[in-house]
Amino acid sequence: MRDGDRDDLEFHRRLSEGDRGAFDELYRRYAGAAYGLAYRVTGQQILAQDVVHDAFMALWRTPEAFDPARGPFRTFFLALVHHRAVDLVRRESRLRARSERAANLEPLVGEDPADAIAEESYLGVRRKEVREALASLPSEQRQVLEMAYFGGKTQVQIAEELGIPLGTVKTRTFAAMRKLRAALEEIS
Amino acid sequence: MIDRHGETQELLAGYVLQSLSSEDAAEADRLLTEHVPGCSECRMMLDAFQAVTGELSLDADPVRPPDPLLPRIHREMEPRGRWGARSTPGRLVAAVASVALVVGVGGLALAQHGGPSTPQVPTADVQELADYVIQHHPIQQQPLGGNAQELSAPGVQELFVYGRGVPFPGPGLVYRLWAVSRHHATHLHDFLPYPDGTVLVRLAVDPSTFDHLLVTVEPAGSQPSEPGDPAWPEAG
Repeated sequence: MRDGDRDDLEFHRRLSEGDRGAFDELYRRYAGAAYGLAYRVTGQQILAQDVVHDAFMALWRTPEAFDPARGPFRTFFLALVHHRAVDLVRRESRLRARSERAANLEPLVGEDPADAIAEESYLGVRRKEVREALASLPSEQRQVLEMAYFGGKTQVQIAEELGIPLGTVKTRTFAAMRKLRAALEEIS
Repeated sequence: MIDRHGETQELLAGYVLQSLSSEDAAEADRLLTEHVPGCSECRMMLDAFQAVTGELSLDADPVRPPDPLLPRIHREMEPRGRWGARSTPGRLVAAVASVALVVGVGGLALAQHGGPSTPQVPTADVQELADYVIQHHPIQQQPLGGNAQELSAPGVQELFVYGRGVPFPGPGLVYRLWAVSRHHATHLHDFLPYPDGTVLVRLAVDPSTFDHLLVTVEPAGSQPSEPGDPAWPEAG
């Protein structure tokens, strides 16, 4: 287990006992990653704020939802953020702008997205590893993965958009997930 | 020979990414309750895929959230010591969340068709119920009998059926949920309690479109034509 993950476990334990300081520490660690993810999926700052707000409130109110036996806190929490972000964009009527969003995200007022925020070094290391693993995927597999994960599209929508059979989308998604898993394990 | 594990895992890959169509999602839900809990290979793959989805998030550049966000969250954080003073749904959520979690799957599990080997309440389902109670006020609770109750909120087109200590209906039988209106009953869902007696069913149904829910006991796999006798007559 990495040091950062071990620290997260301790913060989570304290948070579960009602320690607001531990909550703030987890916020300091993950708010940037969570907001960046939510913004990339929703494409809108206001929606991204709602996603991050809801995710942290859920963490405070039901910390029991995280089971340390099932993996690091980091993957649990960011998966929760992703889940909420996808749910939100699917529910919002603002979906209509989504096809344009990938190429033209709403400008971040008062923030420069290129100016990466300071974050825990272990997160930065893992980020590089994830990007390295993603880069190792064949482009057609990476494409369907990104359309599903960051685009929030269903496999049916992806098939229609790319003009390929649904079965091909499923096959590519499965292959991408398996390769990514193997690549991440190898890099780690 | 059909590779059932391969087919299952292909579905699971789409499932953890929340990218399945409704038909495939229903099939994934079925596999998650009927096949995955008893298949170490598929369970391991599910865990691995869930971990990958968590890691994938790091491909997005981190962005500093607006400064007012943390104070906003702070304002809404209740002290832990006051949980006991919260509304009944709050305590209910805490109780649900305290249930030991064996299988935690992403997405919305809409079905519980499992028998005795069915896993305990999935983490994601507990989370969904917690979110529902947190986000919707006021929550209306309608006892269904058998320690189960309907949880709904005005204007929200979904509801939960939740219970602890719900008795099992007997071998070869399932509970069947009906939406009863003045002139007819509509079949909604069949379910069994988890092994510890917990029932947690989420239904995408507008509660304003029927008068009340009815739970009956029926032979598993039977055609849901007309509701039989109430499972729990004490519900009235």
